[in-house]
Amino acid sequence: MEAVLYICLGLMFISGVMAVMFRSMIKSAIALAAASAALGVIMYELGGIWAALFEVSVCSGLVTVIFVSAISLSNMDKEELGKVFEDKKRMALLPYILIAAGAVLLAIVLAVGPLLPAVGQVVKPIGDLREILWNNRQADIWGQVIVLVTGAVAVVVLFRERDEI
Amino acid sequence: MNLLQNMMLIIGFLLIISGAYCLIRTYHMLKIIIGMEIAMKAVTMFIILAGYISGNMDLAQAFVITVIVIEVVVAVVAAGIAVNLYKKYGSMDIRNLRKLKG
Repeated sequence: MEAVLYICLGLMFISGVMAVMFRSMIKSAIALAAASAALGVIMYELGGIWAALFEVSVCSGLVTVIFVSAISLSNMDKEELGKVFEDKKRMALLPYILIAAGAVLLAIVLAVGPLLPAVGQVVKPIGDLREILWNNRQADIWGQVIVLVTGAVAVVVLFRERDEI
Repeated sequence: MNLLQNMMLIIGFLLIISGAYCLIRTYHMLKIIIGMEIAMKAVTMFIILAGYISGNMDLAQAFVITVIVIEVVVAVVAAGIAVNLYKKYGSMDIRNLRKLKG
């Protein structure tokens, strides 16, 4: 069980960093989807089944489709990307920054000891997910509805075909 | 298991650093959205980790679902802006946004 978590954690980290470092946008979008899928497995293993379902279906599926459609609507090829944005040069420092930051964080954990409390030590559970969503966090539901309507209107306006913008 | 939680904490921070670096260093609109998404993945993982440690996984899931909905809408709107930017200027360089008026 723990081995799956470690593997998915590693996969998520590698895919996340690759998504940032790849020059090709399609490869970046696929790496982002892989990171989302790995996060979905981590959520499932930790007991967040509904969150995992949303993560895999929405973040790994829908967001990837949005990115791929946006990339296909703009036909910038790799050479043009490299010429305009010089991403390879700009991202060259990232691995060194990550190694340095990882070493610092690891040193802090080794020096201070475990940063997090043990499982189940903090508070007691307060109820079922449905109960929480519909009773305790009802304002969140209304907020989500408003955000979704805003998103739908934005899609209609922004992806509309026009002769001249 | 405590080692795993600390590993998750470290990897989450490293992913946030990657996303922030991408936001700072690139001018490509879609790349910027990807950097933002990566940072938000780490935040989502932190919320789930907090729910797991506290035993309040249902509350954490409620927050995660809200975060996912907002993340998707932000990605859709930003992708729409990027496509319109490309149609107008032939490039997804965010420096072109400065030229917009009105």
